[in-house]
Amino acid sequence: MKLRLRRALKRRSTPATDDACRDLTSSTEADAKYRGLLEAAPDAMVVVDQSGKIVLLNLQAEKQFGYRRDELIGQPVTNIIPEGFAERLIADGVRSAAEALAQQIGAGIELIGLRKDGSEFPIELMLSPLESPDGVLITAAIRNISVRKAAEKVLAHMEGRYRGLLEAAPDAMVVVDQRGEIVLLNVQAEKQFGYRRDELLGQKVTNIIPEGFAERLVADGLRSAEDALAQQIGMGIELIALRKDRSEFPIELMLSPLSGADGILVTAAIRDITARKSAEAHLLQKIEELNRSNEELGQFAYIASHDLQEPLRMVASYTRLLSKRYKGQLDAQADEFIDFAEDGANRMQRLIQDLLAYSRIGTRGEERREIESEVALEHALMNLRGAIEESGALVTHDALPIVLGDETQLIQLFQNLVGNAIKYQGGPDVPLIHVSAVSSEGDNKWVFSVNDNGLGIDDLYFEKIFGMFQRLHRRDEFDGTGIGLAICKKIVERHGGSISVESLPGQGSTFRFDLAAA
Amino acid sequence: MTVTEVSGIPIAVLLVDDSVGDVRLTQEVFREANSAIRMHVAYDGVEAMAFLRQEGMHADAPRPDLILLDLNLPKMDGREVLALIKGDESLKLIPTVVLTTSDAEADIRRSYELQANSYLSKPVQLEAFESMVRSINDFWLTKAKLPQQSPV
Repeated sequence: MKLRLRRALKRRSTPATDDACRDLTSSTEADAKYRGLLEAAPDAMVVVDQSGKIVLLNLQAEKQFGYRRDELIGQPVTNIIPEGFAERLIADGVRSAAEALAQQIGAGIELIGLRKDGSEFPIELMLSPLESPDGVLITAAIRNISVRKAAEKVLAHMEGRYRGLLEAAPDAMVVVDQRGEIVLLNVQAEKQFGYRRDELLGQKVTNIIPEGFAERLVADGLRSAEDALAQQIGMGIELIALRKDRSEFPIELMLSPLSGADGILVTAAIRDITARKSAEAHLLQKIEELNRSNEELGQFAYIASHDLQEPLRMVASYTRLLSKRYKGQLDAQADEFIDFAEDGANRMQRLIQDLLAYSRIGTRGEERREIESEVALEHALMNLRGAIEESGALVTHDALPIVLGDETQLIQLFQNLVGNAIKYQGGPDVPLIHVSAVSSEGDNKWVFSVNDNGLGIDDLYFEKIFGMFQRLHRRDEFDGTGIGLAICKKIVERHGGSISVESLPGQGSTFRFDLAAA
Repeated sequence: MTVTEVSGIPIAVLLVDDSVGDVRLTQEVFREANSAIRMHVAYDGVEAMAFLRQEGMHADAPRPDLILLDLNLPKMDGREVLALIKGDESLKLIPTVVLTTSDAEADIRRSYELQANSYLSKPVQLEAFESMVRSINDFWLTKAKLPQQSPV
């Protein structure tokens, strides 16, 4: 920028001084013409002889330095340019005056100008020689560059701030032009990629991000460069980066456009996501392990409960045989002992059967099909017909929808819920049970309710009852394994839904669960 | 010969099972169901085949009217025994009922593929087992018409 300005200045200044140079060597007519040119020059012009005395100046010079012309003619030029100019006019031991001068020609020299009132201002000086009868004179074109200096200062400040921002960024930042060449980068980028800054500036960005970035900068037949870029803005793109030592690491790239004088530049914020990636991989591995151990546990529960059934069958069968053949033939105590043994064996059988049912939910029912829930309910009621007849329960239901699920599990779900409703009754009332379903259209599912007029449940136990082996009643009140609702919960959750209860003691309960609509 | 419950002529049943408890229980329950049944026991597959082929100490073994076969047996398991019986011209006509604790679909399918005459899972409850045994007796040993044993 500075350089460009200076060149422009030179182009503009040179004709004035060149003209002056040629004209002063000829006649007075020419002298007048030269004076006119001198006055017309946009810059302050001062002609100085070899001893450093001012021999001529224009109106601009008067204005800039605040002197009248006669106050300056014949005075040393150091009065208005204290340092850096006069010295350059004087030959030293090493070089002649002409040589000394020749070195300065055309180059803009930045110096300090001094006004009559003692104030200083920055100037740029352009020198050119002027042959005259009295020897070589120097024409100096003097430009007040205080505005430019101030602008430069602001710019430098801004640049400093931008650079500061760039350097302060926690991510590696690389600015790339449309050709895919790196024009700017920060210290994080140096560190991450293992290069020195100068090794990357001007290099192709593919050196550090071989694939997926440079391609995105290029417009194709379908889109302009702006469009191509716009598509990528703000999106984290996961790519592979390459260090100087050729090692690779995963990165996330965020792009943003930067309009510059040379077209659109792209600022890429590059984050090393090695840690995140390995955390992700670690998490995935953990999930896999967890799934495997869950599966193993399910298998274990299944095998254990299945194998437990064998010895239990022996115990149960023989205690039953004992009871059948010898009850009443031994003493009363022996009969009692046999009863306890039989009762224990029966309970354990139910427990193992429920455990098996519970573990089967995990090992079976992978596939979901369209199920008529009404048919499933009717199937469940058929399985419960003994209990329904015995209790005189009245089970009603609305029209029930088609849902996605496993039919066997859905039957079991209804069977457990309706079975509980029949079982947990307090008074002399006939058990009244109603099953209904309402559509929850927003999330494409059905919410089922199983409502009863039974004992009800204290809200203290709303959560607890769905846990494994959780019971609220003494065995001599209501027998059970405490697995039934755990099975319900597992079935519903396996179908992606949830189950809950609403109840008031003495006023019945409503169990709700949701299933995906078909 | 049609197998019927004719007093004086014992009905021979071969039970192949390695569990002493199960064997005794099955014997007890069958005795209650039909006292004419003479229950023979083989505790593994090799012994079962020796009995059927009247080999070694089983030289005098009767030809059974019904085989009750468990699947999980030592030495030679029930599936192999089943394959051998049904692959043997002189044995394949003997009704062979798989009586086991497994209710795995794979076991059921495999058994019928090997020409089992039926597949029964031992119930856990004694009453249910008693009822099953009565059914076996009623169907296989009473009602079912079977071809006469071809003269050897």
